[in-house]
Amino acid sequence: MRPLVEPSTPLPGTQDLLFEAARRLRRCEAALCDVFEKAAYGEVIPPAIESAEVFGPEAFRALDRSGKLIALRADFTAQVARIAATRLANLSPLRLYYRGSIVRRLSADSGPVHERLQAGCELVGAGGPEADAEILSLAAASMRALGLRNARLSLGSTGYFSALANAAGASPRLATALHDAVDRKDLPTLRALCEREVAEGKARDAILLLAQPPRPQADARAMLERAEALAPSDEAREALRRISAALSAAGSLGTGLEVDLGEVRGLGYYTGIVFNLYALGSPRPVGGGGRYDTLLGRFGDPRPAVGFSLDLDALVPLAEVG
Amino acid sequence: MLTIALPKGRLQKPVLERFALLGIRPDEEPGVSRKLIIPAGAGARFVILKDSDVPLYVERGAADLGVCGLDQVLESGADLLTPIDFGFGKCRLCLAAPRESKLGSQAALADAAEMGRSLRVASKYPRLSARWFARRGVPVDLIALSGSVELAAVSGLTDAIVDLVESGRTLEENGLVVVDELLQVSARLVVNRAAYRLKVEELLPLLEKLG
Repeated sequence: MRPLVEPSTPLPGTQDLLFEAARRLRRCEAALCDVFEKAAYGEVIPPAIESAEVFGPEAFRALDRSGKLIALRADFTAQVARIAATRLANLSPLRLYYRGSIVRRLSADSGPVHERLQAGCELVGAGGPEADAEILSLAAASMRALGLRNARLSLGSTGYFSALANAAGASPRLATALHDAVDRKDLPTLRALCEREVAEGKARDAILLLAQPPRPQADARAMLERAEALAPSDEAREALRRISAALSAAGSLGTGLEVDLGEVRGLGYYTGIVFNLYALGSPRPVGGGGRYDTLLGRFGDPRPAVGFSLDLDALVPLAEVG
Repeated sequence: MLTIALPKGRLQKPVLERFALLGIRPDEEPGVSRKLIIPAGAGARFVILKDSDVPLYVERGAADLGVCGLDQVLESGADLLTPIDFGFGKCRLCLAAPRESKLGSQAALADAAEMGRSLRVASKYPRLSARWFARRGVPVDLIALSGSVELAAVSGLTDAIVDLVESGRTLEENGLVVVDELLQVSARLVVNRAAYRLKVEELLPLLEKLG
């Protein structure tokens, strides 16, 4: 007799979805696809395995028989960028959406992986604030389609942070330390770093403002104006103007929108606006997105793009769909 | 309703004093009551935890905010906001070795690399220690212990220890000296990332007054 398979449960970080759980997921996906299709986005289904170069170090990798490094899908956006830059290189703007699962290592220095269900949209070949606004509106509409009325969208800009770090002449090591302190809203550490390693001036004052609490959309103007008065460079002013322009173009989203210049968390390739979505009942963000104007260039087609993805593992249990 | 993770031990008293200044007081005294969750008026409640468990409770959202030492925040690796340094609960996380050992007598880490084998270090902080030694390019054999870490170096189990030092008396009485300092520790407010956004109306006034 052959022995029983051990272990007989799915690996940690993965799961079986049975019957009602599967039905719920499909209903949520259908509600989202409906929103995406109505906004004229078309579905793409990239393969589950790719050349490892497409992804970052978080991907789960293996060698194929020829010794080439391949990886399980760790990020839809990078795959969509590859598709857009190659097979769809001459079409602008492109509106693409996807759904499926990604597999990632828990952290760069850990072996264990987890699987996450995602859905999301990418708008390629449109560099203006209207495109940013379109993606913000679509993210807000997605929250509504899932019946999440108290969701919050927190808008910031990695472009603004980079501009300040550049203006302060920060070394890569210092920029990383500042980024980490801003991301943790760690004002004491940020202050200590600035006092020790950043020269007095506008750049330093502007960096210290990054750990301020977020402001609701209604008060955002005043904060952005204050930041603009401190802006140490044209690059920083431009990044702030992009936030203002996106806000104006987006109008009222119907989802609590707040501006947080310290919202710098995002994927490594974000270059401009960045945002995260929060919903009551989930201890971590339920989605996020941003502008990535240099990613397609890696595949030979330097076009701007902006997009977002939703964490369906976090959202499906909270969703209220018919 | 805000759920606040309150650490047991030496931080508890000063933490309760800070919250009391804002009018947030537990309905029953945590030291006396055996309850693990203690309401504090209508708007808040305390959950009573070991300080090393605070980061995980807050990261996973079982508590919206909490207080613990910076050592616990960093050792846990939890993804948290750390907006306030309370300034109390001060101590240092140090590398220490027996006074008469090569490491202890020269008070310099560089010589450890000349030992011809990995440095053996015992600690309650394996993650923090591993990262600190890795950044200095020192190969290290880390032994994670849960108590009486000094004994490891004194008994010869390891060459050195990484542990919290408050007054330095325990080290001195056991013939150990500080070789280097890894981290200056004090009590930190930790806040769940989503709670910071979703409960901003309740949290912001509190953060302003605590800070």
